[in-house]
Amino acid sequence: MNRRKFLRSAALAAAAAPMLPTLARAEDTAPAKLKGNIRHSACRGCYGKIKLDDLCAAAKEIGLVGLDLLNPADFATVKKYGLVCAMVSYPTIDGIGGIRQAFNRVEHHDKLVQAYEQRLKETADAGFERVICFSGNRDGLDDAKGLDNCEAGLKRILPVAEKLKVTLCMELLNSKRNHKDYQCDHVAWGVELVKRISSERFKLLYDIFHMQIMEGDVCDTIKENHQYFGHYHTGGVPGRGEIDETQELNYTRIMRAIVASGYQGYVAQEFTPKRPDALASLRQAINICDV
Amino acid sequence: MTRRKFIKSAALATAASPLLPRLARAQAAAPAALKGNIHHSVCRWCYGKIKLDDLCVAGKEMGLVAIDLLNPADFDTVKKYGLVCSMVSNPTIDGLGGIGKAFNRLEHHDKLQSAYEQRLKEVADAGFERLICFSGNRAGLDDAQGLDNCAAGLKRILPVAEKLKVTLCMELLNSKRNHKDYQCDHVAWGVELVKRIGSERFKLLYDIYHMQIMDGDVCDTIKENHECFGHYHTGGVPGRNELDETQELYYPRIMQAILATGYQGYVAQEFIPKKPDALASLRAAVKTCDV
Repeated sequence: MNRRKFLRSAALAAAAAPMLPTLARAEDTAPAKLKGNIRHSACRGCYGKIKLDDLCAAAKEIGLVGLDLLNPADFATVKKYGLVCAMVSYPTIDGIGGIRQAFNRVEHHDKLVQAYEQRLKETADAGFERVICFSGNRDGLDDAKGLDNCEAGLKRILPVAEKLKVTLCMELLNSKRNHKDYQCDHVAWGVELVKRISSERFKLLYDIFHMQIMEGDVCDTIKENHQYFGHYHTGGVPGRGEIDETQELNYTRIMRAIVASGYQGYVAQEFTPKRPDALASLRQAINICDV
Repeated sequence: MTRRKFIKSAALATAASPLLPRLARAQAAAPAALKGNIHHSVCRWCYGKIKLDDLCVAGKEMGLVAIDLLNPADFDTVKKYGLVCSMVSNPTIDGLGGIGKAFNRLEHHDKLQSAYEQRLKEVADAGFERLICFSGNRAGLDDAQGLDNCAAGLKRILPVAEKLKVTLCMELLNSKRNHKDYQCDHVAWGVELVKRIGSERFKLLYDIYHMQIMDGDVCDTIKENHECFGHYHTGGVPGRNELDETQELYYPRIMQAILATGYQGYVAQEFIPKKPDALASLRAAVKTCDV
């Protein structure tokens, strides 16, 4: 961030809190009514400069019904606005639980069981239904062994997830550009894990941005594997910016593929707004994805 | 093909020849001038029901400067209309030279050398500059051995290609859905072959449709590997039909990525028109790709 950008964003942040609801309403001069076939959400982290209250108010106005990747401390705020947390953030314990160090190592399992059982209870208590999880990086571990280890660790947590009716979703991430060495980086590997675990309470988070970078073939992959997918994220390829004509995917067609699969869950925007008006970019993305 | 479709297409084929030029002219009521940054071409086989003369007239009128995948017998026809053959079709000899059986087997090389040297001369004599070639199917051959064999076979032909200034382009095809077991099915493998051969007269044909199915990450792949790509083909994913909103790629952005590399060659449409008016679909695709 250069100095000019910093000053501008600081000024925006200062101005945002009181002004946002008015601005959002003013922009919404011709509010396109959403079709309601896709349940729209957005990842909180992509709007870090906007206060959660302001993001909730704006999201509600745009037509979102949920926000993704919140910690329990934020649950009361989203509920106040009548929103849900569509995908709860992962717990961490002694540096374990994040993208790089998670279920693919047996030595992490005791700690992960403890942290996840607590997070599952917090999620269920709030009435929410999904918690994210990760494989961790390979770090020399081959894919077959990583699969065995993830299976073993997750199976220790699933009785609680099943009892509480909360679904654990392991995210598919690209290891080519953004998360070097991450193990759950191909649909085939993730699908094999879902099949082995074979519980309605374990699925994959199919991130369209990440999987376009790793594999492509988006619509047919969704058509053929949707029963293993419990959640979807978006993002423009290349660059993870807006999902409009600045990038290579036709998101409208991809949303049609998701709706055609009978999907009843949420689609969360996870692009990093590149234009100065982040909420205008979010509104645009929702319109693109509302099929 | 159903009986009804057959009758309709037979009727069209009969009617097409005299009517087409007039129809094409009528359809071009508001002929949008093309920008001239992309040199547009089209694969002849996708319009098999239209006589080559008619395709040339219609193509010329909509701004195409070339046609792909012609045999030498057709060269005079395209030249008559001031078009070039931007990618000449592969020769075959005793069942060798096509997609399934080509350069990845040493026992094919003698025959391929004689067939390709003749074809290279025909291409150069016509003043054309590119000739397609294939790896062949794996049929049990591992990728390292296939690479060695392709390099050995192609190196026997390249002195003639260099002398005649004709570029051999090996096509990247998907082995996941359409060409099971085809060996040149990932950019990384093809790029390694180009590097090993190390001649300006050997490149890859990056087929956007096929590589979206196998690899995704289209714009960044082009940005990072364009020096190994000598030609581009298109097609809607999934289904290989029109490039429009019925499929998952946003082609204008991909064309911008191609232009940004400084590419001076051709982009050939290779979708199978699904709508009844095949030439209207071609015209729409050319407009979509004219950036």
